[in-house]
Parts: sequence; structure tokens; C-alpha cells
Amino acid sequence: MTTSFKLPIKKGSLIVGKWKQGHYRVERLLGEGANGKVFLVSKDWQWYAMKIGQSTVDLQSEINALKALSEYNSSQSSYLKDVDDWITPEGKEIPFYTMRYIKGTNIVSYMQLHGYEWFPLVALHLLRCLEELHRAGWVFGDLKLENIIVGQYGEVELIDFGGATLIGKGVKQFTEIYDRGYWNCGSRSADAQYDLFSFAILCLHLFAPQKLHQLSKGLLPQNRSAVELMELVTETPQLKPYANWLEKAFKGSFSSSKDAAEQWRMLAHQRKPLMKQKHTPRWLKIIIAVSLISLAASASLYVLDYTGLLN
Amino acid sequence: MKQILLITDGCSNVGMSPIVAAAHAKSEGIAVNVVGVVDHGELGEYGASEIHEIARAGGGISRLVQAKELAQTVQMMTRKTVVQTIQLAVQRELQAVLGNDSIEALPPEKRGEVVQVMDELTETSSLQVALLIDASASMRPKLASVEESIHDLMLSLQARAGKSEISVFHFPGSKQEDCVMDLDWTTHLNGVHSIFPKLHMSGTTPTGPALMKVVEHFIESKSLRETEMDGMLGDDVV
Repeated sequence: MTTSFKLPIKKGSLIVGKWKQGHYRVERLLGEGANGKVFLVSKDWQWYAMKIGQSTVDLQSEINALKALSEYNSSQSSYLKDVDDWITPEGKEIPFYTMRYIKGTNIVSYMQLHGYEWFPLVALHLLRCLEELHRAGWVFGDLKLENIIVGQYGEVELIDFGGATLIGKGVKQFTEIYDRGYWNCGSRSADAQYDLFSFAILCLHLFAPQKLHQLSKGLLPQNRSAVELMELVTETPQLKPYANWLEKAFKGSFSSSKDAAEQWRMLAHQRKPLMKQKHTPRWLKIIIAVSLISLAASASLYVLDYTGLLN
Repeated sequence: MKQILLITDGCSNVGMSPIVAAAHAKSEGIAVNVVGVVDHGELGEYGASEIHEIARAGGGISRLVQAKELAQTVQMMTRKTVVQTIQLAVQRELQAVLGNDSIEALPPEKRGEVVQVMDELTETSSLQVALLIDASASMRPKLASVEESIHDLMLSLQARAGKSEISVFHFPGSKQEDCVMDLDWTTHLNGVHSIFPKLHMSGTTPTGPALMKVVEHFIESKSLRETEMDGMLGDDVV
């Protein structure tokens, strides 16, 4: 239910902050979220992404989440740059904030451009982003393809914090097809498992977009379930190595997102858990034994030959 | 906080004007939201304008959507109205304290603190939503979507920290009643498989009288415990 609103903005428009007098020049539209539009703007030869909101309260709520995150984590501290209002030529006051501009593309175009070989790493980076958020006590909420930017070497940035919710509260904003409640897989309370569920849907959305859509439209509401989602996973060859992982995400059985990220890393590196590798396989033992015996036999023959005992 | 959510697909044609009824609701501190279901464009210009007018008179919001969008719309409208109600109350406080009535007039730093309090109230205030469903013949194919949206709303409300209750009514009743209660105030739908077991679809659409019945039900069930939040917001919430 995104309601578009018209803004008197085009390339070259000048936006001046009412409170801090920051001068921004508009380059182009970057995207549109539920709470507003994001533009690429420049100020003092620097690029920024500027989110212009419809509702002061909704936008401020998002800013509060970003601030709380910056306080917790220094790596996010440079995310939020400026918060101000703009008085349009028509005299309307519109709130905005600016954030650092991240050059990148969405996951789908990134994969098409660089190949699906990058998928395990991009996904791992995404899981680490979520892990960081969860550690700070927040849940992203509205995780979906559109809210992720991928940098040159598979780095991941989350954008649009409109759904960011404190753990334990009701998820503020979500998209039906990514929502745990919609699939009858749990509540709409914010917890780490909520984001992990959306992450698993995101994997399906990447590799089987049409089938996922059909599944959601074709099932009766009460029949949407983790079982149906898993069936789709098994039909999707690219996700086969991750089937067990995805099942845990759909069922909410990861103890934490740290645990989930770690298990994903193992799969992405195609490593087996260490304990199993301590076993020497039986066939190897047999081969070693056989080669040792034949070595001993040939050595003894040699020694016997040398000492002349065989003659 | 009290809300009525009316789901309809046509014009009222019997009894009191629904716009007057919505204004009554507002004066009782109940916000009226209206969703018009427009699957085959049968609503018409008059119907659409009636829907918007009801919401305006009732201090709520209105949307015209397809049946498949109902679930998402219903839960978002409910949330939005909670936010609006709190916003209005906060603005009144600001007016009293600072002499200006808008959050926009505050500098961005101060705004952050105010909105944080508002978010907290949004999450923790107690909430009652009465769903009023138009069950006239043309709504029959949409009732499955309506039921889904009620279950979905319950799911969202259960994630809130504050007490949340819903009740469900449909109109008209089979025996010429203006309105029939299907579900009294409840905090969960466990065990409720079908909200509308067998409806006798009738031709009239007494939207106004039905709205008044729901308002009466709110007044009668006022014995429900008043929380701190209700006290703070006062009687004229909307």
C-alpha cells in the first residue's frame, strides 16, 4: 500500500535545509520506499543519498532507529549524515535526511552481471549485516530484494530502515511474501528468526521468482506452510546445498543469527564440520596397510638378495 | 483506543446515513476506517465518494482495494490509525505546552524524542477494533478474503505489547436485523475456523444503522478495563 506522492523535484533542483542551511543539488531518483523517495544529491562535491519523507513522524521513527544503531556500532556511524526540513517553492515543509551514498546495484542485477558464483558470499555478507543488527537489539523487519545493495566485490548494505523494530516489539513494516506470519510459520513479533525467515524467502525469490509467486497465489491461506516452501527449495537445483539450512530458517530453529551465519559459512566454503574429518576413511587405512606390507616385502627381498642368502 | 473498520463494496440504501453514523462514532472517541473492495469495478463513483466521506466523518482513513490486497491493507490501516490517534493527542499536548501544534515545528533533535515516545505509545496502548462486514449478496465471493484479513489482523495485533481485542459484525442479518455480532471482544482466534458460518445474503445495505449498532456495542462493553493510555488520551481521542 505504498502511496506515491508528487515532489517538485527534477535534476538540478536545489534543496536547502531549513534548520542547518545545507545546500543539496539533486542528481536523480535512486529508489522509493514505503516512507518516501530516495534521491542522489551532491553537496560540496560529495555524493549523498537523500531520503525525502511524506510523514514527519514515520521518517523520524526511521531516523531514531538509525541513530540508535549508530550509537551501538561505529561502522554504521557514518550512515546518517544530516536531518532537516525543506521548504518547497510552494511553501510546503517536507522532512528529509541524508545518508552516505553507497554505489552498488540490487542483488538480481549483480548476479546477472557477475555470475551466480557470488551468491554464497553475498548471502553470507547479508547474514553478517543481520547478525550485527540483532546484536544491537534490532530486527530489520522488511528484508527483501529491493532493500539490499551489493557493492563491487559482493559487499552488502541494507537500505530503508522503515521496518527496523526493537526486538520483542511488533514488526513495524513488512512485505507479505517475506512475512513469517503470512506463511503460518510464526508470529509477527520482532526476533532474529523473523529476519532469517525473510532471508530464506529471499533465496527462493532469487532463484525461483515465478514459482514462489505462483505458490503464494495458488495456496489457500491456511495451507501456506514451511513444508510447501521446502518443496519449492528441493525443486530448485541452485539451492540444493542449502536445503537443510533453509529448512532451519523456515522453522525458526537457529539459536541465533550468529549461529545461522556460521553454518552458512561452512556451506559456502564447502567445508565439512571438523569433527568428521578426524576419522581416517577405511579404504585409506586398507590402502596404507597394503602399501606398507608390499614395501616391507620388497625391502626384505632386497635385503635377502644383498646378503646373498637367496643364492 | 477504539476503531471501527468497515469493509464494504457498495452504497448504503436503507436507514440512517452512514456519514452521520460515522460522525456519531467519532464523537464517542471511535475512529472509523473504511475499505472499499472493488474487484469488478461495481462500486461506481457514488459508492467511492460515500466510502471516503464515511472515513472523513469518522476521523479515519479510507482505501479502495482488490480483494487479494485486503489482508495487507487492513493491518496497515489499523496501525496507521493508531499512529494518527496518538499523533493528534501528542499535538494537543504540544499546543498546550509550547503554543504550536505541530511536530513539524520542532527542531529535528527535539522531534526525535517526541517520536520515540509516540512509537512507544503506538506499541503499548490498548486497542479495540470492531470489524463491520458488508454481507450483501455481491460480497459473497469476497468473504474468504475478508476472513483471511481478519486472521491476519489478529496476527499483527498479537505482536503488539499492548492489549489488543477485536470483534466482528456483519450486516444485514437474516431476520431483518440491521447488524449481527459474529464474534465478541477477543484477543485471539484460536479455534475459530469460520467466522461467518452460514450467511443469509440479503439485498439491502443498511450501513448507517449497522454502524450505530457497533457504536452501541462499544458503549455497552465499556466495562472493559481502562488502561493508563485511555486515561491520558481522554474522551475525545480522535
